This record gives sequence, C-alpha cells and structure tokens, in this order.
Amino acid sequence: MKFKKVFIGVFALLIAGIFCVSSVQAADPYNLGVALGFTGTGTLYSKDQMEGIQVAVDEINKQGGFLKQHPVKVFQQDTQTKPDVGVRTVKDLILRDKVRAVINDYSSAVAVAVKPICREYKVIHIAAISNSENITKINYSPYTFQVVPNSYMQAKAASYAVAQLAQKKGWKEYVTLASDYEWGRSTQEEVVTDLKKVAPFLKVKKELWPKLGETQFASFVTSIMSMKPDFVYACLASKDNVTFTEQAKPYGFFDKIPYVGSMQSVTELITEAKTMPRGLVAISRAPFFAHMDIPMMANFVKNYRAKYNGKYPSDWAVMGYDAVYALKQGVEKAGSIDNDKVKDAMKGLSVDLTRGKLQFRPIDNQLRCSSYVGIVRDDPKYPFPILAELIEIKAADSERPEAEIVAARQAEKK
Amino acid sequence: MDKKNSFLKRFRLPAGLFFVALILPLVVSEFWVHVFTEIIILGLFAAAFNLIFGYMGQLSFGQAAYYGIGAYTTGLLMVKLQWPIFVCLPASMITAGLGALILGYFCVKLRGIYFAILTMAFGQFVFFIIFQWYSFTGGDNGLQGINPPMWLFKANAYYYFSLAVVTIGMVLLYFITESPFGYTLKAIRDNTERTEFIGINVQRYMLINFVISGMFCGLAGALWGPFNRSVAPDLCSWQHSGHPVFMAVMGGPHHFLGPMIGSVIFTFLNAFVTGFTEYWPLVSGLVMIIVVLLMPGGLFGIIKSKGYFETKSVVLEGNNPGDTGDKNNE
Amino acid sequence: MEFTFLFSQFMSGLTYGLMLFLVASGLSLIFGVMNILNFAHATFWLIGAYICFTFWSLMEAHQFALWVSIPLAALATAAFGWVCEVVLIKRIYKRELHEQLLITYAMALILGDLIKIIWGPTDRLIVRPPIIQQPLHLFGAPIDSYFIFVILIGFTVAIGLWWFLKYTKYGHIVKAAVFSREMVGALGIPIPKIYTWVFTLGIFIAGLAGGVQSAIGSVTLGMDTNIIIQAFCVVVIGGFGSLMGTLVGSLIVGEVFSFAILYWPDGAMVLIFVITAAILIVRPWGLFGTPLRA
Repeated sequence: MKFKKVFIGVFALLIAGIFCVSSVQAADPYNLGVALGFTGTGTLYSKDQMEGIQVAVDEINKQGGFLKQHPVKVFQQDTQTKPDVGVRTVKDLILRDKVRAVINDYSSAVAVAVKPICREYKVIHIAAISNSENITKINYSPYTFQVVPNSYMQAKAASYAVAQLAQKKGWKEYVTLASDYEWGRSTQEEVVTDLKKVAPFLKVKKELWPKLGETQFASFVTSIMSMKPDFVYACLASKDNVTFTEQAKPYGFFDKIPYVGSMQSVTELITEAKTMPRGLVAISRAPFFAHMDIPMMANFVKNYRAKYNGKYPSDWAVMGYDAVYALKQGVEKAGSIDNDKVKDAMKGLSVDLTRGKLQFRPIDNQLRCSSYVGIVRDDPKYPFPILAELIEIKAADSERPEAEIVAARQAEKK
Repeated sequence: MDKKNSFLKRFRLPAGLFFVALILPLVVSEFWVHVFTEIIILGLFAAAFNLIFGYMGQLSFGQAAYYGIGAYTTGLLMVKLQWPIFVCLPASMITAGLGALILGYFCVKLRGIYFAILTMAFGQFVFFIIFQWYSFTGGDNGLQGINPPMWLFKANAYYYFSLAVVTIGMVLLYFITESPFGYTLKAIRDNTERTEFIGINVQRYMLINFVISGMFCGLAGALWGPFNRSVAPDLCSWQHSGHPVFMAVMGGPHHFLGPMIGSVIFTFLNAFVTGFTEYWPLVSGLVMIIVVLLMPGGLFGIIKSKGYFETKSVVLEGNNPGDTGDKNNE
Repeated sequence: MEFTFLFSQFMSGLTYGLMLFLVASGLSLIFGVMNILNFAHATFWLIGAYICFTFWSLMEAHQFALWVSIPLAALATAAFGWVCEVVLIKRIYKRELHEQLLITYAMALILGDLIKIIWGPTDRLIVRPPIIQQPLHLFGAPIDSYFIFVILIGFTVAIGLWWFLKYTKYGHIVKAAVFSREMVGALGIPIPKIYTWVFTLGIFIAGLAGGVQSAIGSVTLGMDTNIIIQAFCVVVIGGFGSLMGTLVGSLIVGEVFSFAILYWPDGAMVLIFVITAAILIVRPWGLFGTPLRA
C-alpha cells in the first residue's frame, strides 16, 4: 500500500516536471533535425543514414560549422515509420528543438505527411532515403528537397537496362513481383509503362503483389516457376527481397529464371554477401564504388571507415552525407541561416557532392542524380560483392519531362 | 445537503479541468498546445470506447476501426469535395455509426473473449480494406492535404475548436451514461442474465450502445485528420485500438472522466519518453504492467478508495474497482 | 490449370499452414488450459528464431550447426518462457479478461524491444547446409527440400501432442483441466504447477517453430506482429484448446492464402478475416472446439 502511494506520488511529480523541461536555443548553432524510422522496417537504413550524417556534421563542425560560425547540432527522433508519429516528432523537433532543417524519412508515406508541416513552419525538409516521386512531383513545396533518385528515375533507368538485355537475350514474356505498397506500386507501374515504350515486344504475363512484410513467399515462388516467364521484374521492399531470395534459392529459382530489377543497395550487398545469388541484375541508388574517382567520395569513404571500424558506407550513409553538404552549400549561397533565404538559394542550385556536381531541378527540387544498374559479382577489392558492368544512367536520361510534371500538378488542382 | 451545493460539488472536477484546459494555451508553448490537442481528441476516443467497456462490461479491441472511418470520411470529404469542416464532422459520425451498426450487429451476439476477438478481427478487416483500396483511400500512402479552414489553421485556434467539440461530445456522452439507458447498460454489465429476465432485450441495448460508441469514436477521428493534415491506415490498426483500452484502464473505467485522465497521462508519457529514447514500446509495456498489476481501477479507483469523491451513486452501486461483473464469462 | 502448378501451390500452402500450426498450437494449448490469450506468443517465436541464429553462428563451421541449433533454441526459449510465467503470467490467472490481454500485450511490447536491444536491427541470415540447398522434385514440381523438414516437424509435433494428451498421465490431467480446473484442483493436483508446465510447453513449441523458421529466409524485427494476428485467426477457426482444430485451422488458412494470392491477391488477407469473423458469428467455439467453453 505504501509502495503504491510512493509510486503514484513520484509519477505525479514526473508529470509536473515535464512542464519544466524547456528548450530555449541560442540563435547561434544550426539545429538540424533527423526524423527517421529507427524502429520498424527501415531501422537499418535509418541507422546507416544517421552515421553518414554524423560524419558530415563532424567534418563541418571541425571547420566551425555552417558559414564557419554556426556549429551544427543534431536532434534525432524516431518516426517509427508511421505517418502520424512522423508528424508529431517533426512538430516536436520544430517547436521544441527549433530545428531549421529536417532530414526525413525512410518511408515515403511519412515524408509525404511531413511535407506540409515543414511548409507551414517554414523548415527545410530533405528526403534522403524514401524516393517516391510523389514527394516532389505533386503538391509542390519550396521547402522540400529530394537527394535520392526518385521512383520514376529508378524505374526508367531499370527499363532502359532491361530493354537492352531483353533485346540481347530474346526475351518475350515477363512477370512482375511487386510489394503492395506505394513505392512498389509506383515503381511497377512506371516500369511496365516504360517497357511498353522502349521494348514493345515484351508482354506482361502476370502481376503478383505480395504484401509488404511478407514472410512466406513459397506460394509466389512456385507460381512464378510454373509460369516459366523469360524473366521476373521485381520491385520488392528490401527486407522482403531478402526473404524472397532466401526462399526462392532452394527451388533453383535463380538458375532458371533471370531476376531483374531488385534494388540491391550496398547494405544488401554487405549483409547478404554470403548468400546473394551472383548474376542478379540489380539497381542501386548511391553506391560508393561508382564514384571512388571523385575526391569527395574517396574522402568520405575514408572518414566513414575510420569512424565506424572499417565498415563501408551504404547508399543511405552516402545520401545522408550528401544531404548535409547540400544544405551547407545552400546556406553558403544564401550567406545566412535564415530558412527562407536558404530555400530560395537552394532552388536550382548546383552542389558539389560525393556523386559529382549535381543540380536541384528548379521545377521540383529533385536532385539530378544518377541511377545505377549492374550485375551482382564478387570483387577482389571488397569483402562483399558489388555491381559489376555498372551502367550509370544520368538524370537527363531518366527524369520525368517537365511538361508531364506541369500537367500532373494541374490535374491535381481540379 | 443543499441541492445547489451538491451540484457544484459533484461537478467540481470536470469544471476545474475545463478551466485549466481553457487557459492552457496562454501559459504553455506551441508544442504543448499540439500535445494537448492530441490529448483531448484521444480522450474523447477513449471515453467513447469506455461506453462499451466501463459501462457495459465488454472489451472491444477494434474501436480504432470507427475512429479510422471517421478520420477518412472527413479527410475524403475535405480533400475531394472541399466540404466545410462543420458538415464533415457530423458526416463522420454518421459513417462511423453505420459501420458500427453493420459490424456491431454481429459482435453483440457474442460475449467476453469472443466479443473481443471478433471486434479485433473486424478492426483488421476495416484496416485491410482501407489499406488495399489504393485508388480511393490512397492505400498505405494515406491521404494528404487535409487542411482545416484558414481560421482554424493556427495551433491555438484548432485547439479551442477541438476543445469545444470534445466538450460537447463529452457532455452528450455524460447525459447518455446518466440516463435510464445508461443505467440499463450498467445493469447489463453487472448481471446480464438477470437483466434478460426482467425483460430487457440485452442484444438490442448492446447494439445501440455499440453504435453510439462508434459515432463518438468517429467524431474523434474526424477531428484528428485536419489536425494532422493527413490520415493513414494505421489509425485502424489493432495496436491503435489498444490505446483507448490502456487509457481507460489507467484513468479508471468506472469514473466518467477516467479515460480522459488516462489520455492525459498516456499521451504525456509518450511525448516525454520518445524525446530521449527509441525504446518507447519497452517503457510503455512496463508502465502497462505496473498500472494493471498495482493500480486496479486506475487512477480514479485509487483516489476513490480514499473517499475523495463521495457521491451517493458510488456508495449505492457498490462499485468495486476492477469489477466488471460477470466473472464467469468465457 | 495444370496439375503440377496446382500441386506446388498446394505444397506451399501446406508448408505455410504447418508453420502457422507450429506457432498456433502453443497458443491454443495455453488458451485451452489457462484461458489466457497470449499476445506475446509470436514474440517468443521470434526470440526462438534469433536464439537459433545465435547458436548457429557459434557453430557455423560445422555441417550439423542448424540441426543442433533448432532444439537448443527451443529449450532456451522454453526456459525463458518458464521464467516469464513464474514472474508475471502467474499473477494474472485470476484477473479480468482485459487485464490479461493488456498484460500479455505489454509483454509482447517489452520482449519485442528486448530483441532489438540484444540483436540490433540488422537482418540475420542463416546459410543453409548443403543438404537442403537444392530443390526436390515431386510430380514435376520443384519443392524446397527444407520444407520436407518443416512438414516432418509439424506432423511430429502434432502427433506428439496428440499422443501426450491421449496416452500419458500428465496429458490426461491437462485435458481434464481444459474441461474443469476446479475439479482437477479438488482432486489435489497442484493447478499452479500444471499451468507453469503447460505454459512452458507452449513456449517450447513456439521456440521450436522459431528455430525452424530461421532457416526459411531472414530473421528480422517485426515478424512477430505480422504473424500473431494470423495465429489468432487459426485458433479461432479451429477452436481454442483443440489440437485437431488448430491443425485444420492452420491448413485452411495456409491453403486459402496460397490460392487466394493467385486469383485475388489484394484480398487474400481480407478473406482470412472474413472467414474468421464468419466462424465467430456462426460457431464461436470454432470448428473443433467444444460448446462447453462458449
């Protein structure tokens, strides 16, 4: 009984104490918010990105911070990969921690929900993992920037590569296997549309839609194998792709049916080094090995490995690093940390990043970055397989034409 | 006791809380105004849930379905048809009530754990429909661009608006619980068999109650959409259905304001804890265990046992904290 | 539709169904005897999978690594389950329904985070021993050879449990307790001890199932929330406390899912819930449960 009293008393005090938690920030530091899905499906990618961001912030702070006078202070929150939690945590970062920019999210659904919040509070919003085209195509916000090749660009790049392969190998029919969620759906739709244009001789035999987070793929494996298509085009979410690959291997799936289009970021190449079937035709967003000739990338890889026990940076770490540096260059162009000036400066800005000198396209704030397609193969330089015979498909060849974007925006206004 | 005095005494707690709620935005920062808006909306949700739980003695683990239906109704009406918010709120109550009518018709044939599981199954059913109907609801992407009218755009404005709606809702709910209908519900809770014997059509009462609860859950959901500027299928998940259960248990299911107080504590805790750790499930799980094991009857149950709220109805009903009547329900 | 195709879908459904059976049988047993709906059951399953991975990674170099890790994981999970029962579950047998549900739900949350703290967010992958790396061919359809093992384990557990309940003294006591715990208690048999061991047995099966699952694809966080609702559906359809019911229920869910994804992929999950709801409405005690408990 007494324990109960004490407990309740402490509890009540705790609650009262919450009011006393204040967070007044001096005008000097640049508060950077990182709201990613640290719990949920995106945990691994989010943690990787946090590491990349940290390397960038450390480097910048060594020089004194943004404009050499505003040290960057990072505030981290977990969006739990849920849109309403994402909205709440971003509000928290903006109102309590007074962040000026937020890097968000793993999930496109969360990023899209956070967009209007950042716009209302005039906070810069950079998407560095999720890549749904909807983040930039419609509901344009001058505060939201995308440093990842978006779903349209990736799909177009993939179709370009697939069309070439199909011609070479005489493929005719294919099956699509896409995770039933926004990214999976939009990517699959794009690919099918593109392939109709660039490889009209190809026909879709069947569309399969496993649910996101599917753990039992056996039925899908057997049904595909029974259909005997010339190849499978896959748009599975990363974890599901692993599950599928593991479950399909014992059926001899990969010996019989070419598996094309899965996204194998450096994360997958490293974690599945022992088990990934070699010869997969995979697509990637920001593999470090594609740009080791660029000094900024080589430097980043060196610093990252030094900080994290020789680990190689994944695509998410690279893009987190790029996001911070893009922001830095925006601040430098604006000459101030005032958000409205920075957002105006960043519009159409060309920035020097690990992936080269790239421009933010003015019409949608999409970074004109490349997509990468290659064949999974071992490489003596690294303890994991990489994408060999790498084709870098530049933004100019894969971005959506501006006219279509204008049309889409007019359509949604109605 | 003087009639006027006892009236004031009886309502001193809700009046006090309302007064505090009124002046809150004047003393706390904008972030906390957002948190309090969330608290009162979820509090209404929990209070509506409690109609079925505390007052009728059945555990519904799927009320989030009606909350979600309400949220999506308002969302869809505002985004696709640009209806004003004043029309959307009652519309949400109607759609949520309809949903509760259809699904509740089946639920009220069951009791105890079967009732709980069926409500959960129906909750998942609604979740998957919203999730899969990509073309209409936006699927897992949710619906964005739910913007409240200009005069409600600012945090304080929306807070007061929500406060007004929630207060009206709570007052209506209170009248329902204190009406003969409400007392019949308590009789059903305390001894279903006997209530049948005196000629009450228990199933019909349960269904009516289920629909009322659904309507107010829908109203809460309707407030949520414009507040958040978006809705997502997650609002219907079984995990979300668990929140009002926890709030009601924590605040005390046998006091009308219990669920609202539970919402205050739970939401506060959530906002506070997620500020410095990613292990919120761990913390919330521990808190849940402590509350359930050590605080039966919730916060109000403990306060009541000290005799702070001596009203005639408490003594007459012989309400024991944690007692939901029929212990033999299987 | 050619026979080979239908057969391989059938086999997939059978495997999936038996996996569900392994997860749900413990759940059904625990509910049947103690009336506790263990929300955390799938989380114990996931713990079993992770523990199996850890054991495997210690013995990686050896061929028998996987086969030894699975039973070890089952034992370790059972031990952990025993601890949970003694510390927490024991206190809620006499509690109200809502309290029991909240406690097991809270346990699921806590254990889920515990997994994250111990093993971190990285996916864990077991490399299969060569014996199960190549597919078998049955009636012209390729079958994952590991699934033969899964099917064997599934039927072994089913037969083992059946034999236990029907032919052993302890099994008789457990069956009696399902019907009337008061009478069993009145006969001088210590009910609390029975409960502890039944719970441990249930978790043992869950751990075993987790170990088996660990070689089918990767082990990741969140797999538990995915499967717990399906396990509930299985137990509802089959009937709480009925072994035969759980087996039949899992096979139904497995096959319905396997064929639904071909014809109505969007609605496969919805269909399962519709069936579950229908059973609850028409026959709440499930296909093989007994009305006594309704």
